[in-house]
Amino acid sequence: MTILTGKAEVPRRLRPHRSGVLRKVWEHRADYAYVLPAIAVMLIVIAYPIYYTIELSFFNTPPGLQLRDKIFVGLDNYTAILKSPVFWTVTSNTLIWTAGSTFIAFVLGFACALALHRDFAGRAILRAILIIPWVISAVAASYIWKWIYHSDFGIIGSVLVGLGLSDRPPNFIDSVSTVLPSLIVVNIWREFPFAMIMMMAGLQTVPDQLLRAAKVDGANAWQRFWHVTFPHLRNVSTVTVLLLAVANFNSFIIPWIMTGGGPSNASHIWITHIYELAFGRQRWGVASAYSVLLFLILMSLGYFYVRALSGNDQKDGSQ
Amino acid sequence: MSTIVETAQGQARRRMRIDGWRWGGRIFLVFMLLYTALPMIWMLITSIKSGFAAMQFPPQWWPDQPTLASYQKLLDPQNSVGQDFLRFFWNSLFVSTATTILSVIVAVPAAYAFSRFTFPGRNFLFFAVLLRNMFPAVIFLVPLFILMRAIGLVNTHSSLILTYLTFGLPLAIWLLKGFYDNIPVQLEQAARIDGATRLQAFLLIVMPLSAPGIIATAIYSFIGAWNEYIYAYTFLSKNDQLTLPVGIQRFFSENTTDFPGLMAASFMMSVPVVVLFLVLQRYFVRALTEGAVEH
Repeated sequence: MTILTGKAEVPRRLRPHRSGVLRKVWEHRADYAYVLPAIAVMLIVIAYPIYYTIELSFFNTPPGLQLRDKIFVGLDNYTAILKSPVFWTVTSNTLIWTAGSTFIAFVLGFACALALHRDFAGRAILRAILIIPWVISAVAASYIWKWIYHSDFGIIGSVLVGLGLSDRPPNFIDSVSTVLPSLIVVNIWREFPFAMIMMMAGLQTVPDQLLRAAKVDGANAWQRFWHVTFPHLRNVSTVTVLLLAVANFNSFIIPWIMTGGGPSNASHIWITHIYELAFGRQRWGVASAYSVLLFLILMSLGYFYVRALSGNDQKDGSQ
Repeated sequence: MSTIVETAQGQARRRMRIDGWRWGGRIFLVFMLLYTALPMIWMLITSIKSGFAAMQFPPQWWPDQPTLASYQKLLDPQNSVGQDFLRFFWNSLFVSTATTILSVIVAVPAAYAFSRFTFPGRNFLFFAVLLRNMFPAVIFLVPLFILMRAIGLVNTHSSLILTYLTFGLPLAIWLLKGFYDNIPVQLEQAARIDGATRLQAFLLIVMPLSAPGIIATAIYSFIGAWNEYIYAYTFLSKNDQLTLPVGIQRFFSENTTDFPGLMAASFMMSVPVVVLFLVLQRYFVRALTEGAVEH
């Protein structure tokens, strides 16, 4: 049993190591057994698809995904993307969607965490209710909000009409000008609880002594927040914002189910557009080229993500 | 004398300002509670309306004749609607449970190794695993669809389980690693001095201490698999294999006017994960604190 051979307790530095990397790898061969299943799964389901997407982005495939008949077209798929007017619509939608959802969800979640930080009667119940939207499925959320926004029987429209603010119920998700903000409201509804949980967890690590010391020094509530609490939560905030940004950049379900990208592409973001190109219009090559571009963008975001994480490590001096 | 008065005034002012923040916080929380709860309440109210009552303008805030007909229809194995719904429910349960069990089996040793051992390439592998979180399903969708077709897994639940494993895995490993980091190595050493093997020390000492982390990991995997839509939507086409999110969508795209039925289905789809989460959320929040934040 490989598990019996671990040598974790002996500090590595104390043992002589005159040999090369391979020797070191061999010495630790038992350790790899633990991570092997995880790595194997990731290789099959991640590394191979990434390689395949890059390859496919240089080819044209006939409809029906007849891969034997694919034709090499060089960079044609990439130039086709940049020339297409839809590209710019979709890109600006993606930026508005990602930035808007991330910023508002983070601010609302952080504010909830601060408001819930102090104990009061009913706090646990309130917290539980606020988390629920994050747990239920995005498909259910999409249908709930589709019903709320319904242009004939939707509740928001009825209230607006009832209060005399509107002659007839507005077409929240059927109109080009309102569809994106309406979908962002739904997305924030699902995502602010995640920011709330992360920031609540972070708040628990802010040392009480620091806050009390600041209070003694005459700092008011806002100053204590801005000069003590917030700087202490910088790493958690960075990680939370990055995770939110990536999740929003990658969202699919809400726009796909609520509008399918319409009306006239007004709610198409990159992800839904790629899906439609591949599985709707069977343009696998162009869809793959889009995916490669997306991949490059996310890799650069990933760089900051890893830096934020390793920043945490170095601060603790634990690694 | 005058200084005392000033101090008292200062204290009063400070207290007022703090109260201002507290009241602001309360009003904000009420607003957030309405934003969060009203859509869910409206879902429940709609689900107990008749199809006719739902289609009225202005809407009935509370139905004249509340009815559980939608729920009866969905849960009745005698009619075709109920048969479909219950089958989707069972499929979701099977796929999610299998994913959860496999995730824990794969993540526990990996997280333990990342926490305790310092083998070459450890940091690289750790971040490579974490990077999975960065990439959208769509990037992997086309090649995985081709791969699954080539190995004959399209239209099987195995294709979903294999894919879902990789969603939960990065966060699972990350959360669990945080837990193992916080369990002192000395505990294991003590057990081994007392004659336990490494495996026994792990099973008897480390596993119980990290149980909250494992539970949190399991919840996360289960919820992720239960709610997943895009792969199930792409990989499965046979009606009897669909999971709930896709099943509901296929089902109601043919019959979109049945909003009470749709809301009842959405509610029943949400119940298992919400109950699971509320019962076990303590562990989850603790795992985030220990795994993600303090670390």
